[in-house]
Amino acid sequence: MNIFSKSYCQYPIIQGGMAVRVSTAPLAGAAAAAGGVGIIGATGMKVEELRQEIRKARKLAGSGKIGINVMYAARNFADLAKAALQEKVDLIIFGAGFSREIFSWGREAGTPIVAVVSSPRVAVLAEKLGAAAVIAEGSEAGGHLGTDLSVAEILPAIKKAVKIPVIAAGGLTDHHDIKRIMELGADGVQLGTRFVLSEECAVDDSFKKHYLGASREDVVLIKSPVGLPGRAIRNKFSEALALSRESIKNCSQCLKSCSHDFCILKALENSRKGLIDQGLVFSGQNVFKIKEILPVKKIFENLARAFQVRS
Amino acid sequence: MSVDAKVKGIISDQLEVAVEKLSMETTFEDIDADSLDIVELVMALEEEFDLEISDQEIENIKTVGDVIKYIESQV
Repeated sequence: MNIFSKSYCQYPIIQGGMAVRVSTAPLAGAAAAAGGVGIIGATGMKVEELRQEIRKARKLAGSGKIGINVMYAARNFADLAKAALQEKVDLIIFGAGFSREIFSWGREAGTPIVAVVSSPRVAVLAEKLGAAAVIAEGSEAGGHLGTDLSVAEILPAIKKAVKIPVIAAGGLTDHHDIKRIMELGADGVQLGTRFVLSEECAVDDSFKKHYLGASREDVVLIKSPVGLPGRAIRNKFSEALALSRESIKNCSQCLKSCSHDFCILKALENSRKGLIDQGLVFSGQNVFKIKEILPVKKIFENLARAFQVRS
Repeated sequence: MSVDAKVKGIISDQLEVAVEKLSMETTFEDIDADSLDIVELVMALEEEFDLEISDQEIENIKTVGDVIKYIESQV
């Protein structure tokens, strides 16, 4: 079954899950209501908070699809995933490490599990274990990255390696990008950065302003304590990272394994609250191409121009 | 064949590294195995020894010795 067929949702467009608390109920609910798939970024949340967000998103979503994204590297990965299954989300997306058990939990609950992958090898493994789809995420993506290859480079090989739907992600900002990547064989797309610049995204206005003010050269790679590179917009915080280690107070041990170079949980929380200079602003590579903050519905109308021939 | 030799044989096959290079203290980092290599290795071990290894247990695997000790405790 293709979970991104037209009977599943109007558009095969996933609003990518963004943590910490960047994609929450208002954004995910609006994306689902607009005919896409709305994803709550669960990483960094407590279980009860996630349950509330899922319920709130549902109310906004109408009959639209709501899911969560959770990072395997998070210590409470299993608790968040299980809570989401109990809340009967329509799908769970996971990445940043590989879980086998989540596929059996998904099977028991009857919930599709989607793995974020960056090579044919992981895609094949995910398919073998029962993934409903994979997201082929290239290095243009924001946040934690699993490859230094572009989505256009990894997509054809992944597409060839598996029979399940392959969703393309990384650096896509408009309907031209979507059209181009669908022509390379993608069954759907996931966009994150474009949806940060929506009216519904719940981050502080200064976070969105930082996005709007970014030039091509402002988008940099940092070394995340998770053990992966992360793509972010240059600011005082990212510059300071290159120079010194932060002393960490009140560690909540949110990660299974952490370099303790700085507290990424606090850094991401700070920026979304508006303390831009004291935080990390994760973003996709092509943020500089996006010029305006729009309602989610309008963003979908624009992106949908890529699918006018979809039957 | 002992568990020790069997496990080393499987690691050697899966990760394409000579058996002679594998000691109890060899870490998977030493032989350039990433987390996915370990998942694939675990799947091969499960098949060979007819057992199930959880995500949690996989995370605790750091050395060749960890694998051997775990398998020995299960069979």
